[in-house]
Amino acid sequence: MEARAVSALLQVALPNAAEPAVITVGMLYFAVIIGISIWAARRTRTANDFFVAGKGIGLIALTVASVSVSVSGFAFIGGPGFIYAAGLGAMYIVLPAAVTNVMGAWVLAKRMRLLAEARGLITIPDAIGARYRSRGAQGLSAIAILVGIIGYMATNALAMGVVINSIFGVGLGWGIWIGMGVTLAYSASGGILAGIYNDVFQGTLMAAASVLVFLFVLNFGGGLGEISRTILVHDPTFLGPWGRLTPLAALSFFFVFSMGSLGQPQAVHKYYMLRDPLQLKWYPLLKTLGLVLVLLLYFGVGVGVKAFVLSGRLAPLTSPDQATPTLLLNVTPIVLAALVFSGVAAATMSAANSFVNIGAAIVTHDLPVAFGRRVTNELRWGRLATVLIAVAAAITAQQSGTMVAFLGIFGWGLFASTLVPALAVGLNWQGATRAGAMASIATGLLVTLALETASYWKVFKFPAGVTASAVAMVASFLVFFIVSWVTRDSAGATIDPDIQLVMDI
Amino acid sequence: MTRRIALIALFVAIVAIAAGYAAAFSRSGTPTWAPWLLAVGIPVALGAIMILGAVRGAGGIGRLKIPFAFVILILAIGFGAALALPASEGPLSRLWLGLPARAAVVIYGVGLLPIIALPVAYAMTFETLTLSAEDVERIRESGRRYAASDRDPMSVKENTLSE
Repeated sequence: MEARAVSALLQVALPNAAEPAVITVGMLYFAVIIGISIWAARRTRTANDFFVAGKGIGLIALTVASVSVSVSGFAFIGGPGFIYAAGLGAMYIVLPAAVTNVMGAWVLAKRMRLLAEARGLITIPDAIGARYRSRGAQGLSAIAILVGIIGYMATNALAMGVVINSIFGVGLGWGIWIGMGVTLAYSASGGILAGIYNDVFQGTLMAAASVLVFLFVLNFGGGLGEISRTILVHDPTFLGPWGRLTPLAALSFFFVFSMGSLGQPQAVHKYYMLRDPLQLKWYPLLKTLGLVLVLLLYFGVGVGVKAFVLSGRLAPLTSPDQATPTLLLNVTPIVLAALVFSGVAAATMSAANSFVNIGAAIVTHDLPVAFGRRVTNELRWGRLATVLIAVAAAITAQQSGTMVAFLGIFGWGLFASTLVPALAVGLNWQGATRAGAMASIATGLLVTLALETASYWKVFKFPAGVTASAVAMVASFLVFFIVSWVTRDSAGATIDPDIQLVMDI
Repeated sequence: MTRRIALIALFVAIVAIAAGYAAAFSRSGTPTWAPWLLAVGIPVALGAIMILGAVRGAGGIGRLKIPFAFVILILAIGFGAALALPASEGPLSRLWLGLPARAAVVIYGVGLLPIIALPVAYAMTFETLTLSAEDVERIRESGRRYAASDRDPMSVKENTLSE
């Protein structure tokens, strides 16, 4: 989802929305961010506070924050544009939300939260290291996550620049530095605590904007039935079950975005932070409902703008990704447009904060542990790593847009293929072995990088419906099962008694 | 036994999905049966990994077998209907909650029905089948014992991890 968000934001050349109302809402938005950050910075005193918010986040805050980092700007810009271009087939990216949150709760949330309770773990590679009693597995998973984060951070920095330039008209270069500067300020000072409460604000903003735009589109179009009738007269394929995609392509989206959700560190990492493990009871229901609200805009604008263009109420779009900006700047009240533009900025900053925090934890915690070292002051080094990662991302984002887009493309698939088997299956199957986990992580990393690079340089072209992410995830699963089976004699020896208990409960 | 069945189902489903992708590389184009492998493989894989996560110890999944079966079937039927039903979308199509029939099956069936079944089942069975206060206390006690045993694997100096 993130890759498409970035791709869309890089290609859309958002129109200049620098009107007084938009600028005012944008300024208010940044003021709230700064206020929350100052509050959080005063409460961040230890590395535990910085990386996992002292494991003290309540259910509602964690749920809204998790929704916020799950959707990114894609839900507002790239997604509606994708529906406009591909029809209902584009819905297969978001339909998995009906099952992913509860699947994550059963497969990962309980066990990771209990690992935090038993061992005080703070990172995802920590969990892999503890599960397999292996610094090698911890280090390898840390490297895989770091590779994905490098791409994500650069692309999010560029996406922030595009949105901030659209709101304030300051130019792309300054947009990147302003966006990353604000994100850095709250990430480095308040760590994940600032991130969580800014995510709560941003997620609420995104949900409100999404619901209001959806209702506006329904009202403007005379209801969903009327919108569908207009489309069916001109373009019935659009409302077919696959839209313009092939069935294999649509189903492939569903596979990658459902199973792959179990390996997304920005969401999985949050399981550690819940104050009380028993609050997990309502987490999947609340998060799923929150996601449905945020994704209403995705569906409503994509389908609505198609109908409005077909009926002549809107001029044809210059590119599909103009669907949301065209609707906002030509049809909806300007305050609503301002809310959505701020929502998009919020989404990119929210994602950047999560990734920079996870990246800093890898640099200051996981990699030293993997190499048999431990830094003495993780909080101080965590802040320094946060600054370095953010500045590096902002500098990279100033480079060629094509190259930056490439860096961001493989993030989701890389996380999915390297983490899902070793972490999600491994925490629930005692037969999984250290060798199986490491082979699986290495396979996911190498296959994703090799196929994405070959595809980017047009060495070959995938058949319709097949993606590098899907192939890498399937390969990683198969390697995990096969190597674990071959090395099954060592399975029992790699599990400590307390980890065994976490896996049994 | 439940865990073993779930693992086998997950493995078979992944193999089926892999076969679907492999078939797409055929020189004559993607065969019509390839999407069916994903249409069946995806629900089975998702159901299997959820069951794997829900199983406790050597026990089964109790009442959860009903919502799991429901969701696996809903997804398989939804994908299957989209593949099998003839294209009938047109200006005179009957609309179901604002969408033509095949689209409604996908959007409301695949996209919304699982929301009603799974998170509610999760919440309703949480204390009995997922996590209770006693479980949390056992974990805390286990953590205390582990810390007292001086075997913290994250403590590099103690060097208790081996490859």
